[in-house]
Amino acid sequence: MTTTTLEDRERRKAWGFVAPALLWTLAFFVVPFVYMAALSLWSRQGRDIVHVWNLDNYLRFFSESALLRGLTNSLEITITVTILSVLLAYPLAWIIAERVPKRLQRMALILAILPFWTSYVVRSYSWLLVLSKGGVINQALMGIGLIAEPLEIASNRTATVIGFVHFFVMLLTLTIYSNLIQLSPNYRRAAADLGANAFQTFWHVILPLTLPGIMTGAFLTFVLCIGDYITPQILGGNNELVLPQIIMLQIGRRADFPMAAALSIILMLTVTAAYVLCARWLRIERA
Amino acid sequence: MTRSFEGAAARRFFMSTIALGALAAGQANATEELNALVWCDHTDPALIEPFETANDVKVNLKEYEGTGAGISILEQSQPGDWDVMVIDAVDVHRVIDMGVLGEMPANALPSADLFPELVMNDNNTKDGKTYAITEKFGYNTISYDKTKVDPKDMEDLSVIWSDKYKGRIALYDYYLPMIGLVQLGLGKKTADLSDADMPAIEEKLAAMKAASKQVSDVVSSQTALATGEVDILVGGGEWITASLAKDKPNLDWTVPKQGAVRWAQSIAVMKDSKNPDLALKFVQYILSPEGQARLATSSCYWGMPTNQKAGEHLDGEQKKALRWDDQAGYLKNTQLYPIPSAELDKKMQDAWTNMMQQ
Amino acid sequence: MRDIISKSFGWAYLIFIYGFIFLPVAVLVLFSFQDGRLPVPPFNGFSTQWYEAVFADRKLMAALGNSFLVATGSSILACLLGFLAAYALARYKLPGSALQRGLLIAPMTVSYLIIALGLLAVLNAMKIPLSLWTVGIGHVVINLPLCFAIIYASMGDHHINIERAARDLGANDLKVMALVTAPMLMPSILAAFFLSVTFSWDEFIIAFLLSRFDVTLPVEIWSMLRSGLNPKTNAIGSLVFLVSVAVLLVLELALFGRNRKT
Repeated sequence: MTTTTLEDRERRKAWGFVAPALLWTLAFFVVPFVYMAALSLWSRQGRDIVHVWNLDNYLRFFSESALLRGLTNSLEITITVTILSVLLAYPLAWIIAERVPKRLQRMALILAILPFWTSYVVRSYSWLLVLSKGGVINQALMGIGLIAEPLEIASNRTATVIGFVHFFVMLLTLTIYSNLIQLSPNYRRAAADLGANAFQTFWHVILPLTLPGIMTGAFLTFVLCIGDYITPQILGGNNELVLPQIIMLQIGRRADFPMAAALSIILMLTVTAAYVLCARWLRIERA
Repeated sequence: MTRSFEGAAARRFFMSTIALGALAAGQANATEELNALVWCDHTDPALIEPFETANDVKVNLKEYEGTGAGISILEQSQPGDWDVMVIDAVDVHRVIDMGVLGEMPANALPSADLFPELVMNDNNTKDGKTYAITEKFGYNTISYDKTKVDPKDMEDLSVIWSDKYKGRIALYDYYLPMIGLVQLGLGKKTADLSDADMPAIEEKLAAMKAASKQVSDVVSSQTALATGEVDILVGGGEWITASLAKDKPNLDWTVPKQGAVRWAQSIAVMKDSKNPDLALKFVQYILSPEGQARLATSSCYWGMPTNQKAGEHLDGEQKKALRWDDQAGYLKNTQLYPIPSAELDKKMQDAWTNMMQQ
Repeated sequence: MRDIISKSFGWAYLIFIYGFIFLPVAVLVLFSFQDGRLPVPPFNGFSTQWYEAVFADRKLMAALGNSFLVATGSSILACLLGFLAAYALARYKLPGSALQRGLLIAPMTVSYLIIALGLLAVLNAMKIPLSLWTVGIGHVVINLPLCFAIIYASMGDHHINIERAARDLGANDLKVMALVTAPMLMPSILAAFFLSVTFSWDEFIIAFLLSRFDVTLPVEIWSMLRSGLNPKTNAIGSLVFLVSVAVLLVLELALFGRNRKT
């Protein structure tokens, strides 16, 4: 009998420990989210928010091409960025983990993510200056005679993608590297013993084993990229708008919270879909 | 050993945090406070600090861009949150109608010293009551790099949708003056802009988008002009080029023969201000010749002061950059922003968003 | 032979990718010393005037202080809440613990913009005025999942015996947590803390939407940017970068040194 009361007491104590975090998340994350979902089903008429349940905002989203294009632009850019970032980061993580001497690895890794500590806003702006017609890249390329006319790489989608890829290469190098060094060298030895060449070893052994790390990084990239406002706003030249920019327009210029909420829910559902697609690789585990 | 060191480090860390917090709290502890909802030119310490020192007051500034954003902030606020606000002169009535502006005694304001065109009683008053006063103005027109384009081409507004400078044009990202410019280019008045004009305007917007390199906010526009990314900025004017005059003498601006759009900003006292006397004092300071000169050359952007007496406090170079002596001609050939109904405003915004997504 | 090719290819790739990673930073720092108003080529000459301008800028300095307060305050709270939750979920069998873990992690998969909007809407509805506090609340929301995940992941079962021993010696739960568990997990708690500080320090959209008069550094930089081209932006960016790198190196040396000792 005493054991149950002891267990009860223990359990009550445990609830006490977990409660603050749960309550915080409930109060400042779940409640706002539910409120926003409700808001998205109301609408703004003139200066007031009308509390009548309807799907108008969502219907408007699918019927107005400018809004729908926001989502497709976001998806196109995010997918391009995710793929490019993985392709660029993997070799770097690989070289650091496999080719760089052990004692220099930490240094090489820290170096690879150092620009992470420049302010995000300033970094985007810096890219704008680097990529512009009179910027460093165009000046250098024209200087050595590689191109005659400056490249159109600022204030368009290319610039947005470059700005994003720069950030996410750093992030992905970190996640992929931490995955690579956890691999036991025995796998590689075993594969070699079985007669596999370097490429086969990589393709059949290393890559599948590092896939969870890649997918975690890729998912993180997807979430952060599709929800970002700064980079497309500074680098995109407003030649096309992504979903977060359209959301900010709703609040900034129209104070149309219901529409902004509806667009946010759509953004959220998109991320959820991406999560479902890579769910089987995403896990948090205890050591 | 290590443990105690860590403990000491942690203690020191917390102490410094607390000290910093106390410092911040101490700073905010000025005798009186004034909450102002303003445009970025009012955040220049050179403008605000003299008022703060003279009246022993702390001015809290929140900046916004575009009337929609300002109204959105007001809607999210409680009565008494704000003491003064700066707003587009043409939009003063929108805020009067919200019932948030307070009346100002007309005799406390230097209206007689203002450029007559900028008194704008239709906009700043209602039913004989004064709710706001115009404090600064300028033009949304065509800025360009005179070493790269033919200045003669800039005298005709139709250049903004022609193919001649395709890919070398930036469009300023604010739908109201831009649509106003298009209306002028079509040979009509901004004041007459109605639903019926929208199809023609949308067609021209599409052509402008096709001919342009980017649609950008102030800093991207400046960057683009300064780095040679583009050679023409539609919607620009002295407020873009005046502060760059020293470093980029090749930048110029003009008012084309069809005219251009004139912007004007007003300042007003809020009805529920907790300190209406101080708020009025602030307005009087901004409208005083000294305040006007500082506002005209504020760090965010330059613009003409409305008070003609400000001229005494501006030096020759500043006056030249502002084109003080050309104002009579400009004033004659420029029109105010269009003033759309809520319905038309929504249509204009949609047209603008559509244009960007093309 | 093939080895040489692959090696030189590897080197070429390293040079390319590090070049790409450092290009914007190098340009940023270079033009912070620009002698003139435009932070674009050509480089006119060396000047420190923009650094002087940064230190003379009251608003910028205030924003720096605000950022420091919000970053450390929200990170401490996030670490504390995350640690307690991780302890409870790793050491006790609670009903629905998978669900609880999921709930605590959930904000990580939601864009900051959406978190900010939701909070803004609710704060408006409840007529709570915006301030640095509301920014801090938002930052705890985004950092709590991170702290929880990192600390939870490091709570190995091999620590249980030590904790049990401490309890057998008469220590109560709080004592065990504070004197046994927390010190054992200090590396991951510190990692969580500094990661949180980094995120909070650099976070823009939540700080932008949830602040009023007192703003954090990224928001102040944003409004500085909106007011026109200026190498001052480069100067503050370079300063923040150099200071963070210095802090990072000190931490790295301190932590790395300790790792080697044990």
